[in-house]
Amino acid sequence: MLVKLLSGSMKKMWKDYLVLLFGLTISIAIFYMFETLAQNKAFLEANALISSIVFVFHVGTFILGLVTIFYIFYATSFVLSLRQKELGMYMTLGAKKGKVTQMMFLETLVIGIISLIIGLIVGVGLSEGIARLLMARLDFSGEGFHALYQSSLWTTVIFYMILFLLTAIVNAIRIARKSVLELLHADQIADNKVIKGWKTFVGTLFAIVLIAVGYFAMINMGELAHAGVIIATATVTPGTYFFFMAMLPFIIKRIKGIRTINEKGLNAFTYAQLDFRVSQLSKVLGTVAMLIALGLGAMTAGLSFYHNTEIQSSMMHAYDVKVLEPTDKELTEMENWEFEERNLYSYRVTDEGVYFSKDELQTNPPVIKEITGNLDELTKETRLEDDLTAPVYTTDETDNAELMPEQWHTALRSELMANFYIFGDRALYILDQEKFEAINADTQTVFVGKVENFIDHANTLEEIDERHHQLAVKYTGEEPTMSGSKYEDYISLKSIANGTIFMGMFLGVAFLMMMASVLMFKLLSSATVDIDRYQMLRKIGVRHAKLKKSIYKELFLVFLFPGLIGLVHVLIGMEMFSFILIEPYTKIWLPISMFLVIYGLYYLLTVKMYQRIVLPKN
Amino acid sequence: MTKSVVNVENVQKIFGKKSENQYKALDNVSFTIKEGEFVGIMGPSGAGKTTLLNVVSTLDKATSGKIEIAGQDITDMKQNALADFRSEQLGFIFQDFNLLENLTVYENIALPLSLQGFSSKKIKPLVTQVAEKLGIKSILPKYPVTISGGQKQRAAAARALVHEPAIILADEPTGALDSKNAHSLMKTMEHLNQYHDVSIMLVTHDPLSASYCERILFIQDGTLYKEITKSGDQQQFHQQILNVLAELTSIQSS
Ligand SMILES: Nc1ncnc2c1ncn2[C@@H]1O[C@H](COP(=O)(O)OP(=O)(O)OP(=O)(O)O)[C@@H](O)[C@H]1O
Ligand SMILES: [Mg+2]
Repeated sequence: MLVKLLSGSMKKMWKDYLVLLFGLTISIAIFYMFETLAQNKAFLEANALISSIVFVFHVGTFILGLVTIFYIFYATSFVLSLRQKELGMYMTLGAKKGKVTQMMFLETLVIGIISLIIGLIVGVGLSEGIARLLMARLDFSGEGFHALYQSSLWTTVIFYMILFLLTAIVNAIRIARKSVLELLHADQIADNKVIKGWKTFVGTLFAIVLIAVGYFAMINMGELAHAGVIIATATVTPGTYFFFMAMLPFIIKRIKGIRTINEKGLNAFTYAQLDFRVSQLSKVLGTVAMLIALGLGAMTAGLSFYHNTEIQSSMMHAYDVKVLEPTDKELTEMENWEFEERNLYSYRVTDEGVYFSKDELQTNPPVIKEITGNLDELTKETRLEDDLTAPVYTTDETDNAELMPEQWHTALRSELMANFYIFGDRALYILDQEKFEAINADTQTVFVGKVENFIDHANTLEEIDERHHQLAVKYTGEEPTMSGSKYEDYISLKSIANGTIFMGMFLGVAFLMMMASVLMFKLLSSATVDIDRYQMLRKIGVRHAKLKKSIYKELFLVFLFPGLIGLVHVLIGMEMFSFILIEPYTKIWLPISMFLVIYGLYYLLTVKMYQRIVLPKN
Repeated sequence: MTKSVVNVENVQKIFGKKSENQYKALDNVSFTIKEGEFVGIMGPSGAGKTTLLNVVSTLDKATSGKIEIAGQDITDMKQNALADFRSEQLGFIFQDFNLLENLTVYENIALPLSLQGFSSKKIKPLVTQVAEKLGIKSILPKYPVTISGGQKQRAAAARALVHEPAIILADEPTGALDSKNAHSLMKTMEHLNQYHDVSIMLVTHDPLSASYCERILFIQDGTLYKEITKSGDQQQFHQQILNVLAELTSIQSS
């Protein structure tokens, strides 16, 4: 009998249950996705540039767990709101309270278990799909990553089973505590609590202090190390929730209190929509803000590692493009590139040495990168001076000639590519014109140049590197492992950073997906009630356009606050990486503007979808 | 001659699509309401009263026939024009679900004024005034959940009256009220009708409330069955109504 009633009403409200299943499923899938990385120690340690990566993931699990608890409690309370009126009706018809309580308990649990099964399947699928996509994009083999990871599976099952048991008990207790009348009128009751001034004050104070302490810890991560991560987690997370629980109702109440604003057009209704479910809303918004912080943070950190490789590869190379003995094809190709600076130097090669013309080097002295010993700026660019007075300089210490100054040696070796990989153990010489002409060999040239963004020319640079390898074979008789170009350095640095970039992107995508699903859930779960309200407004003659505008406004505020808070968290949070990354804020605008665009589009999509649900077509 | 506010010609309303089993809720109904008239609609449950009100109020589309309100054919009006028309010219009191439960009573009543862009300085006295008339001034700051059914109905009436529309459409406004409150609501309507030239179309089951009207249309199975006009005083009209109702009941039971 009980089961019959239960499944019967589930059928009737299948759309609402679908919404609920969707919300829970995504949460489970994402949690599992996170755990596939978090628990795969071998993979993490083999692929991350961050030494205490496992620890970082422990902290991540903790934050995600906390956020999930908030979210699941919010989501499952939706079951209660769906069913209480009907359960109240059964009670007026004679159903015992115990039975009804039991029904609520079972229903919450059953829904939980169903979504757990679906969620795990979706989770495995998502992990596999996203991992593959990213690996292909990053040229990252990702060995040791498993989309189906047993211990993660068990952690997810245990974590959610406990959560669902708890929420089932809470729902049952909440039903048991209510009188029949309260149940019958449950759909009309506003959770519109009067907020006491001092509570708002204390809550706000708490939020500000907690977040401030967290920010301090993140900024001083260098000294605090692990303790800093723990402090930041333990303060920023609750601080964010406090912010939304105390500040948000306060702000909305304040706006509503200003009569000239509230009594303008549909404003009274728009703000009431927010105010009405503000305590539920604050849980959602806190969760969304945290997920944005985590997701955008992970992505930004990942991308920073990416840019870091660019910066690192620039550290030892003043010139982006260095071509020994350029072919005609290469020269025509480079004609189209925009060079900030370009030079051509002559040299001659014999079995003993590589000879450069002093005159040419003096007329167009090259730039080199020098190590400064200063942590803020590891290397600096120096243009060499034309201070070569001797007729001959050499690197061969057995020779009687003047020893080549260290700076000039660096210039030839690093910038003009007269290095060991290509020329073997030939000595380097700088000769005056007369002596240079006397060397019995063909004159060769080396082209060097600086471009705005050398990665734009990746293909050509790769071909040039390949040719340099052949050149090395010609000069030394064997193929070297590398040729000493900037592009080569960049590629090898990137392959080291790839694992970290992969993790950042993988988690970023996961968290942002969950964020999107939480917002979507909030929306869809309130749609049923809102349909009636919007219909009523239409009846009394509110223009379609005005109703649309009200939805734009309401959702704008829902999107705005967590977006802002999440963004600030990320901006401050990037400071944490300043002890591993050279410039954590380089190109930070890129992920952030990407996020803003996607978030903005998602907002528009959500508005359109919501308008379709609550407003009639035509 | 006074202009007509409502002019209904041969209106039909059929529920259900062609393929499904159809139900004819209104069949060839025609009548007019003149400016400043107070007209009642009576008839047994399921006769089509609410349907008629919805069709007249532009909330629902008639299947066929012509409806003019304030000289405008509402069958070709655009959506926005219809919405503006409703918010400026019409005042509604529905049979069920009237108030937005996320707004206070005050905010509910103020809504039509806000929508027409009244400043909040002007809104307050107007809301207070109408609330006073209907005896709900003390519950203005409350949410609908915390007030009684009768108070809700009066709050809905206050919202329909506050912007002094050209015509008020009311569906059973006294349904949930005791006789004293029913009386004060009907008095307010009568007052608006007599001193502010507001036309009223009132659906009711209650003969006493109906006796405030000047004219009553009786509907039976979707067709106009009879029409009576007040000639003497309210007492006599009340008796007249009761007679027609008795007639109707005897037809139904036979
Ligand atoms: N949306 C609808 N779809 C199908 N039939 C409907 C619809 N609305 C009303 N009806 C039918 O039309 C008839 C008239 O309904 P209406 O609501 O107008 O009655 P009423 O006169 O207002 O009754 P009451 O006094 O009980 O409110 C009823 O038989 C009803 O079942
Ligand atoms: Mg009706």
